Amino acid sequence: MKVKIRQWNGVASWLWVANDENCGICRMPFNGCCPDCKVPGDDCPLVWGQCSHCFHMHCILKWLNSQQVQQQCPMCRQEWKFKE
Amino acid sequence: MEDIGMEEDSAEISGSAQKQGVADAWETVTNALMSPGGPGPEQGLWDSLALLSGEGLGRLLGGWLLETLQMRLSSAVVPEFWAELQQPENELEERGRAWVLLTAFQTLLGRLEPFLGGLERLESWQDEGRGSVCGPGPGGLQERAFTIIRALLLFSPSPVLQERVLEFYSRTFSVYMHQEGQAEDGAEAPEGPEGGVCPGCGVPTQQCWCKEALEQLKELSHILSKLQLLEWVSCEAVTSILHKLIEQRMEQHCRGEYERSFLLEFQTWLELVLGWLSKVFASEAEKDGLLPAPGAPGAPGAPSTPSVPSTPCFQAGQPGSSVLKQWRCHMHQFFCRIYVNMRIEELFSIIRDFPESKAAIEDLKFCLERTNQRQQLLTSLKSAFESRLLHPGVHTSDILTVYISAIKALRELDPSMVILQVACQPIRKYLRTREDTVRQIVAGLTGDAEGCTDLASELSRGDPVTLEMQDSDEEGADPEDWTPDPTDAVPDKMGSKRRSSDIISLLVSIYGSKDIFIDEYRAVLADRLLHQLNYNTAREIRNVELLKLRFGESHMHYCEVMLKDMADSRRINSNIREEESRLSEEEQPPLSLSSIILSSEFWPPLKEEKLELPPVVCQAMEAYTHRYEKLKAMRTLSWKPHLGSVTLDLELEDRTLTNLTVSPIHAAIILHFQDKSSWTLEELSVKLGAPKELLHRKLALWQQHGVLREEAGGALLRGGDGLSEQREEKLQLFWAYIQAMLTNLDSMTLDRIHSMLRMFVATGPVVTEMDINELEGFLQRKVREHQLLVSAGVYRLPKAN
Repeated sequence: MKVKIRQWNGVASWLWVANDENCGICRMPFNGCCPDCKVPGDDCPLVWGQCSHCFHMHCILKWLNSQQVQQQCPMCRQEWKFKE
Repeated sequence: MEDIGMEEDSAEISGSAQKQGVADAWETVTNALMSPGGPGPEQGLWDSLALLSGEGLGRLLGGWLLETLQMRLSSAVVPEFWAELQQPENELEERGRAWVLLTAFQTLLGRLEPFLGGLERLESWQDEGRGSVCGPGPGGLQERAFTIIRALLLFSPSPVLQERVLEFYSRTFSVYMHQEGQAEDGAEAPEGPEGGVCPGCGVPTQQCWCKEALEQLKELSHILSKLQLLEWVSCEAVTSILHKLIEQRMEQHCRGEYERSFLLEFQTWLELVLGWLSKVFASEAEKDGLLPAPGAPGAPGAPSTPSVPSTPCFQAGQPGSSVLKQWRCHMHQFFCRIYVNMRIEELFSIIRDFPESKAAIEDLKFCLERTNQRQQLLTSLKSAFESRLLHPGVHTSDILTVYISAIKALRELDPSMVILQVACQPIRKYLRTREDTVRQIVAGLTGDAEGCTDLASELSRGDPVTLEMQDSDEEGADPEDWTPDPTDAVPDKMGSKRRSSDIISLLVSIYGSKDIFIDEYRAVLADRLLHQLNYNTAREIRNVELLKLRFGESHMHYCEVMLKDMADSRRINSNIREEESRLSEEEQPPLSLSSIILSSEFWPPLKEEKLELPPVVCQAMEAYTHRYEKLKAMRTLSWKPHLGSVTLDLELEDRTLTNLTVSPIHAAIILHFQDKSSWTLEELSVKLGAPKELLHRKLALWQQHGVLREEAGGALLRGGDGLSEQREEKLQLFWAYIQAMLTNLDSMTLDRIHSMLRMFVATGPVVTEMDINELEGFLQRKVREHQLLVSAGVYRLPKAN
């Protein structure tokens, strides 16, 4: 007996490779999107800081914009630098 | 005036001397009053009258006359009347009875005529100012006299009178209607065959007394009117006749017939009936019409003299008098009431047939507005729903269908929607208790439910403008346009503005919130998307767009993301496919894998099942994941091994099964049998990481295909290459069935044979699914072996010898 698979249609869900479930700023799941967005994934990406904390990009940008003096990670208060 | 004064003077001069004269004068006057001929005013009479007045006796005259009338009535006239009426006990036929009725009244009139004449005379004297002769008391003398007549005559009426009157009127009615009907048709009265029955009077044609009956009717109504008994004697009979006839006609014409309107038809018919009424109330009508009734009624049986010249008034069917106007109103009222009664009884069926029964609904609406039967309608409809619809024997989708029809029908019937709201309350309440209501509604909305296309079309008809209007409750409503709710409206916070007639809103509001529907829709959508292989979402996109108009953008947001996932997945798949194609031959993946990639937060929770896929599949998935990670930085995939579908070919020793589409677990099972031909359920369960019960269920598919078989030992399974003989045996068993079928039914198509076999197989001991292709092959072989003939797709057995 020989089985020949012509086509395998699988189902998978995508997820961010992040060390946390939820965004520390908006408290929404990373796999969802920030409150201002409608569509997750490409349209509402995550960014990582050098401190290894990550946030929805829109969330952290908003946070950074609101900081007058120094730009810090909202979680660990280190200076925020985007991780390359 | 002067004349009177002089006479009074003379009476005073000569009065006191002649006491004897008073008695004589009384005699003269009373005689003159009662004399039937009605003598002209003579001087002697005037003198006597003057004398009596002078003595103050004038005013006793009226009293005396009434007294005499009363005496005469009770002692002779009334008993005579009743005796005459009842006299020919059950001996006469209808025609005779009609005659007796008429004569009885004629005699009555004859007996009373002198009194009536006397009364008239008295009144005219009074009017001429010949002294007050009518005596004290309210009302005219005549009026009092008629009251006395009525009182004494009808004090204890025998039922025979009503019976006779009813019978007589019914007869004249049918005669009249028959004649009018003919006139209407423009057809000459056909001379019935010898011994035929006249449709008017219901006797053999040569004895037809139609004409006579009408004459009698005229006469009778005249007498009755003269005695002012018309109303008292006829009304009841006429009312009951009208009632009966309208009812009868409605039973015959309208019951069960919902597709055309009957209002006009009945209107014409009622006008015709009014013609008959005008005959019954001819004299009354003419009195109102200010046409003085000429003299005594014509002698009975003198058909040629139209003694009552009232017909012109009514010929056009236009009532010229208030009596007829009244009756017309009555009839109209009867009609409406009877119609409403009948339709209320039938309302459930009308609703069920709704778009076809629109005419009936419109009629009912017209009539219902004229009667006070809303409450009755509500009660009846509610109980009809409860007894015919809301019980466990009715499928939810059928309840919904009726509910939708009810919404459509009742919003026609009652634009205020109150009936709809109240009558359908039980349905809504009941639907809330059914578990599959939401599913059925959603299926209806997406056009999946068979037979229930209303919702889908309703959805696509959705008019966002009107929907928004419903949402913005306070604004835009002109206070001038406000109308109060009908009295039977349920007092609730919503108010009439919120009383929606929109089918979808009504259905959705059964549960009070849209969320539950949207969740259900999401589940249905997820199910559909995951089970279709072609990523074709055009229909779903359309549905979601339409639902967005209904439920608002934000509610359908999740569904939109789901649809976007499908589009994204297709793009990613083709991306990855392209990348793979650039690889060299040996690097090609062993398995063509594509995937639906979900945004897990936006999909409904999918059921988790554990399943270890064979290594070859796992490797392919890993490779896919790897490519995905390259494509989308910092993202990875989490596979749901049990979801999806697999298309595969199965090469067995004796045959090949191609293009089977199965679920991943089926594929995983059969893949394991490729390497090792027999497994115990235990082993398989460990290998696949799936519970045994589940596996056992899934194995059935392969058993049905004859690929696997369960050994007698129970636990042992065998990947079968040597199954063909067993298969052959089974087919031979079928052959016996097929032969028997063809012997009995002569010829059958392949499909027919297949479905018949399936039926036998289902009931027989061998639980094996037979593939139709396999069956065809088998039958073809039989054809080659000349055991079977085939022509134009129809199989038959060859003729014996």
